[in-house]
Order: sequence, then C-alpha cells, then structure tokens
Amino acid sequence: MSDVVLWIVVGTALAFDFTNGFHDTANAVATSISTRAMPPKVAVSLAAVLNFVGAFLSLAVAATIASGIVQADLITPAIVFAGLIGAITWNLATWYFGLPASSSHALIGGVVGSAFVAEGPDAVLGAGIIEKVVVPGLVAPMLALVVTAIAISLAYRIVGRRRPGPVTRGFRLGQIVSGSLFSLSHGTNDAQKTMGIIFLTLIANGNLSASDDVPTWVVVSAATAIALGTYVGGWRIIKTMGSRIIKMDPAQGFAAQTVGATVILSASHVGFPLSTTQVISGSIMGAGAAKRLSAVRWGVAGNIAIAWVLTIPAAAAVGGLTYAVVALFGADEAGPLVVAGLLLALLTAAFARRLATGRTLTAEG
Amino acid sequence: MAVVDFHALGQVVWVSLVAGIGVTVLFSVVIWGTDKTAAARREGQDGQALAYGVLAVAAMVVFSAAVITGVVVMLNKG
Repeated sequence: MSDVVLWIVVGTALAFDFTNGFHDTANAVATSISTRAMPPKVAVSLAAVLNFVGAFLSLAVAATIASGIVQADLITPAIVFAGLIGAITWNLATWYFGLPASSSHALIGGVVGSAFVAEGPDAVLGAGIIEKVVVPGLVAPMLALVVTAIAISLAYRIVGRRRPGPVTRGFRLGQIVSGSLFSLSHGTNDAQKTMGIIFLTLIANGNLSASDDVPTWVVVSAATAIALGTYVGGWRIIKTMGSRIIKMDPAQGFAAQTVGATVILSASHVGFPLSTTQVISGSIMGAGAAKRLSAVRWGVAGNIAIAWVLTIPAAAAVGGLTYAVVALFGADEAGPLVVAGLLLALLTAAFARRLATGRTLTAEG
Repeated sequence: MAVVDFHALGQVVWVSLVAGIGVTVLFSVVIWGTDKTAAARREGQDGQALAYGVLAVAAMVVFSAAVITGVVVMLNKG
C-alpha cells in the first residue's frame, strides 16, 4: 500500500469519526436541551469535552467493529476505505432527514458491502450480522423502552405529590449527571472504532506490528475528531430526539438518560454490542408511553425504525458501489483520491446547508 | 447459524432492570426527601425534617456510588 492510500484511509476514518460525533450528539444532549436542564451551547460543549475525555479512558482496539462480520484476512485498505465512505454517506443522509440511526451499524454495513463486492459472498459472515446487528437491534430499543417505562412510572409515584418547582429543578440537576455519564460512555465506545481502523491500517502498511501500543497521535486525532463533531452538533437529530418523539419533562429526560446509560454500560461490560442511538431512542419512547401511549408520536418512531432497518443495506450499497468505483482506477491511489475528493465536496455542501438550518434551531433552544 | 450469547443477554436485561430502575428511584427519593425536609422545617417539625434529611442524604450517597460504579465499569473496559 502506498503512503498516499494510507493517509487517505486515515483521513477518511477521521471524517467518519467527525460525522459519528455530530450524528450521535443527540444521544447525549437532546433530552437535556429539550427539558432546559442545560442551555444548548453548554450541553453540546460539555458533551464534546466528555467525548474527548472518554476517548482516552479505554484503548481496547482488539475488538474492532467489523470483526466477526467479514473475513478479517480478506480485508484490504481499499475495502476499509469504501466501507467508511458508505458509513459517512448514510450518516449524512440520516442527519439530513433528522433521523437517529446507528453509526456503528452504518460502518458495519459499509464494510460488508465493500467486502461483498471485492471478495464475493464468502467474505461476509451472515452469522456475525445476526449476532452483532439483528439481535442487538431488536433487544436494545425494546429493553430500554420497557425499563424506562417502569422507572418513570415509579419516579412519578414517588414525587407526584410534591411541589412541581423543586421536582423540576431536582431532575434538571440530575440530568447534568446522567447526560454526562452518557457522553462519557459514548466517547469510550465510539472513538474506539476509528482508533481500531487507523491502527489496523497502520499494521497493514507495515508501520506498526499488532503487539505495538496505539500511537498517541491516533488517540489524540480520534478524540479530537469525535469531540469536534460533537461540538458542531447534529441539530436536526437533536430536534427529533428532544421534541419530535415525545414532549419531555425533566423527570422523563432524567429517566431516559439514566436507563440509557445503564443499559449501554451493562451491555458494554459483558461484551454485548448495543447501539447507543437505538437505546436512547427506545428510552425516550418508553418515557412517553408510560405517561400515555398517545404521548409518543408513533409516526416519527416508525420513520426512525425504518431508518434502522435500512441502515445496513443502504450503507452496504454505497460501500459496494464505492469499492467498484475505486477498483475501476486500479490498485494505486487514483481511485481513493477521486472518491475522497467527491466526499470532501459533499461534506462542504452539507455543512453549508447546516449553517442555515442549525442557527434557527439553536435560537429556538 | 449465529450463536447468540444468551447468558450475556440475560445479564444485560437484569442489570439494566435493577440499575436503571434503581438509580431512577434513588434520585426520585433524593428529590422527595429534600422537598419533605423543607416542608417539615417550614412547619417547625424538626424531628421529621431530620428524618427526611437523613433519608435524602442516604439516597444521594447510594446514587453517587452507582454513578461512580458506572465510571469504573467504563475504565475497566480496556
């Protein structure tokens, strides 16, 4: 592999990390913003700092995101590059429509699609997709929904007869803690994906051996990319999560964040891969449904579920198409250079539009 | 065919139930106890105020311990 291809893959991985940050900001801060526990800028800044710190807390790069899903020995930098493009494209598309979808599943889908086109169906491990995507995808939202519904029902029973002022202020304070815990866990989970990809690419290029430590510049650059993405903030998705699924009070926001964090941490502890996006979405629906079923806008929830189902095939299609385009240019750096150039143009256009829409939402608070 | 780790899944379910519901209930007790303490003080019932205050502080201590446990779990991942 030429050094040019290496640095294109590294740059693309950091671009994915950035989209991961701004796409998933909503997971941590949407409830805090919608219940006015924190002003939007403060909430997003705190999430950015905690995502940055979280990236340094854990360096378990051995379990990379696509392991067990594609044949590891068939993976090349071009496949990783095309997979990253598929994931970035899906992240941008779902951000544009304000739909919270899993960045991890987008990355898995992208790599599956590019590996399929590059090496054929044998490169894809169907059992791994069922184990790491399908089953967790069913469990995460349902578990979070049920646990949050029980938790908020009990919370309402306990504080229901107390004065609304102190109760609201109390849960808003609690949300600072629960939202911070969620941001920290997001940083430890998601920055690892990018670090793992860059680390493996450096090994494949002969810069490192598998027994080496993760270079400091990899940790710092991945942490910085996800923190910057978080700070930029995916305001469209924040609006969906914070006010379009249900109209939330501080008690519901606290319960959703707390249950979301405990589900993610318990799953992470036993090695069961759950999507933070799916968990917090399920929690928010549970917090609303416990009050009354009609409190949840099921049409919005349905759109989110459709986005979840489409994530793997859509990212796989773009990943596969990208690999086919890259392969047209041969084995040198021309293909990745052309595709990376197109991606940069797309990102520039997308963020130019975001500046127009993002300010409006920020002003609404 | 995939081998789904049902043992891990079961652990996630019961830990989520206990921790998610437990932490939410604990913090609700903190708020309830704090407000009851303030109400008892306003009515001049110092004994009740002390009892509710102790309950609120105890719930806060356990809540804080749960949050610290969450951070420790994160630190022990890798």
